[in-house]
Amino acid sequence: MKVEDFFNYQEDLVDSGVFLTFSGVLTHDFMLKLGDMLKTKMALQNVDKNLMLKVFSLMIEQSQNIIFYSSEKLAIPSLENEEMGIGTVAVGFKDDHYFVFCGNHIANPKVGQLSAKLEAIQKMSPEELKQHYKEQRRLEPDTDSKGAGLGFIEMARKSSQPIEFAFRKIDDNQSYFTLKTII
Amino acid sequence: MENLIISGTESTPEINFNHSSGIFEIRGESYPENTAAFYAPVYEWLNNYFAQATGKSVTLNVEIIYFNSSSSKALMNLFDLLSEVGSKGNAISVNWIYDEDNESGLEYGEEFKEDVGKLEFNLVVKNS
Repeated sequence: MKVEDFFNYQEDLVDSGVFLTFSGVLTHDFMLKLGDMLKTKMALQNVDKNLMLKVFSLMIEQSQNIIFYSSEKLAIPSLENEEMGIGTVAVGFKDDHYFVFCGNHIANPKVGQLSAKLEAIQKMSPEELKQHYKEQRRLEPDTDSKGAGLGFIEMARKSSQPIEFAFRKIDDNQSYFTLKTII
Repeated sequence: MENLIISGTESTPEINFNHSSGIFEIRGESYPENTAAFYAPVYEWLNNYFAQATGKSVTLNVEIIYFNSSSSKALMNLFDLLSEVGSKGNAISVNWIYDEDNESGLEYGEEFKEDVGKLEFNLVVKNS
């Protein structure tokens, strides 16, 4: 990237409505700071409390998704006791709606399963999402899940439109996964 | 038996379980770095508490503004535990306290209520 290119990068962000974004090593403590900033900004704009809580909650779920599941990690000795993952999270406002993006690396063998899970969620009505959420809450989570396996269902429930996602193959081992929620 | 007291943080709720009064409180926000690790001592304390005596009367007040999806599961497990000891002769009631203007607070309370079986589960509105 040339120094002039940074103008374009900045302009793209502004045009797309993104007002808060982070890309890099994400830890729990850092996520808390981002969450504070998001809440402070929305409070200053007198955003409705319920809407603010939804945007905040999606930002947290999507950030925790990066922290727990990004296949890209860094060996930082001072962070060895912390969960962390490398990824990008962005929160914005465009066309009267808030949105949250997240993106991270994922190992290729996991793409098929995740894709199927998200496609199923995409097709569910609010009532089906509620039932799925409740059923899943009673089940033991998948062995490689560090949460409750409820994150994506929760995201879909808090969104006003179906979640959007995509995978792009990087090489034989990794793909890049992105997910967008619109509130 | 010691009371269970865990100070709250930005992403973990304050826990205050008083063994002699039988008043248990969970207040704050819940989106821990490691949800299972955070709630494990809570279940452990409760199992010990109910193992020592039956026929106890317990009120659990839950007042959580925001909880993430893994905490939702942790709370369900907590209510299941109480439901089970309740069926063994302890009088248990849960008060789900939500802010008047927090729509999801009521909605999530209702969804827990639908799933807790015979456990007494009250939705308590708090005027802000």
